[in-house]
Amino acid sequence: MTRQEVIDGLVEILQTVRTINQEKLIGVTDETDFIADLNTPSTEMINIASKTEQKFGIEFEDDEIDGLGSKVKDIVDLILKKQAEA
Amino acid sequence: MTGRKVAVVGMGGAFPTCKSLDDFRDKIFANQSLIREWPEALKYDKKIRSTVAGFITEAEMDLEIIYSTLLENYPETYADKKNRIPNINLATADIGSIWAMLGTQDAIKMAGWSTEETQAETTGVVIGSGAGGNVILRNAWHNFYELGKKTRLAGSHSVDRSMPYREVANVSCLIKNRGVAETIGSACATGLGNIGHAYRLIKFGLQDRVIAGGVEGTSLETFIGFDAMQVLSKNFSAAESSRPFDINRNGFVCGFGSGIVALEEYEMAKARGANIIAVIDNYFNNSDGDGDMFYPSFAGQQRLWKGLLNNNTLPKPDVVKVHGTSTPAGDAIELLSVVDTLGESGYHISAPKSQFGHMLGAAGSVEFITALLMLQEQKVLPCLNSDNLNTELEPFQLQPDWQGPKKPFSHYRHLLPKQSFAKSINRIVCLNYGFGGTNSAISVSKDNHSQSATRSPLPEAP
Repeated sequence: MTRQEVIDGLVEILQTVRTINQEKLIGVTDETDFIADLNTPSTEMINIASKTEQKFGIEFEDDEIDGLGSKVKDIVDLILKKQAEA
Repeated sequence: MTGRKVAVVGMGGAFPTCKSLDDFRDKIFANQSLIREWPEALKYDKKIRSTVAGFITEAEMDLEIIYSTLLENYPETYADKKNRIPNINLATADIGSIWAMLGTQDAIKMAGWSTEETQAETTGVVIGSGAGGNVILRNAWHNFYELGKKTRLAGSHSVDRSMPYREVANVSCLIKNRGVAETIGSACATGLGNIGHAYRLIKFGLQDRVIAGGVEGTSLETFIGFDAMQVLSKNFSAAESSRPFDINRNGFVCGFGSGIVALEEYEMAKARGANIIAVIDNYFNNSDGDGDMFYPSFAGQQRLWKGLLNNNTLPKPDVVKVHGTSTPAGDAIELLSVVDTLGESGYHISAPKSQFGHMLGAAGSVEFITALLMLQEQKVLPCLNSDNLNTELEPFQLQPDWQGPKKPFSHYRHLLPKQSFAKSINRIVCLNYGFGGTNSAISVSKDNHSQSATRSPLPEAP
């Protein structure tokens, strides 16, 4: 799975989160910040992490979620790492 | 302490089968029943004893459940097809909280409060409900306990969507008031208890405006609990199932809904030219003090009336909006306590639960709204289905220690209208009671009652 395919999959997840302004999902890149750029309510981050696990067929450790940064590249790196470990 | 005068300046809510407050008004004054066979209960066949309810579906409120892709049957959030509530507020709300927010929007619009007034430090929110976010918890717990899912799959909102004061939290975050935000819980007196508390906050100068009321979101768990107690009506058609005071009544009908009112300090409301729907004369509440969780207390209700009427300094009402649940014991004690206080004539009794069932935590507030509508329409709402009244004394009336009226229900037929009818109404008393022996009463009047203290001749009830 390429990095862009992971980002595209992530955007599909974000499209199901109704508290995110959907207009801001155009042009999401590695550097997009969930909080600063997309105004994602912090309480929705755990929902996004859980949906990411489901979509990509992976399971995060609690510590990995606790240490996750707020940029798209942070979660993309983690997804690719978990996929490589599988 | 006299305190400040309190006006009712707005109202709104969610009502079974009704698209709006006006729709609700039209239906109840047309003597319609809003009670239907409930498909959710019918699904369980003989496991559930009663099958009728005053329920409201999501679609009827122009809402849609957005189910989680992570958990089975878990409502991740709701979509508002009319875009009345922002998604950020919907995310933290259970169905009852959404109804509370919608009712609040309508009440504030009717009140004509400015954004500055709504968001002031002197504006409060006081709303309660009977049960606690069952639809959210049911599925969250099932997925954790039975299906072995991780807690995080339920997302971050199972707490804020099920906590006891969730309606207040959601309404407060929606309207951004800066004053009091809290809830009063008093079982089936909750709706009126919150309005009464809000009245006191304004009366004693702690707030100038308060959004107040009660909510009971549609939930099978709530229904099941009462069904297990064998206290729900059965063996009647849906429209005939809630029948306060009728000799064949055999239980109450579960109802769901919400009633929200906007209260404001009278002089402020008057000064800004507000449409004053009514003035609250007094609110009083007490406890039975007899140690009985369920059985109503004649003595407790006598003390309730005494407190409400402030030792008879408050004029007596033209209409008594009773709790009138349609349970054998509840109706009997209540009717006789009303008669004991007000006598055998000079007023009529209205039992709105006969039309939409017992809305539990919302009962007191929705029925308070029916009282406001009666004042506006100058019509008395009926005791629907009170077809046949007992011609014999109730068993407790035969006991040697019974101190109340010693006449059978049939003697009071003239007080219990079977149909709505027109009448000059200046003042209405609303009564609600709850498990644990809690009793609440409020007296509400037309704004001009001081100028028209003389009553019109009283017609007989049809």
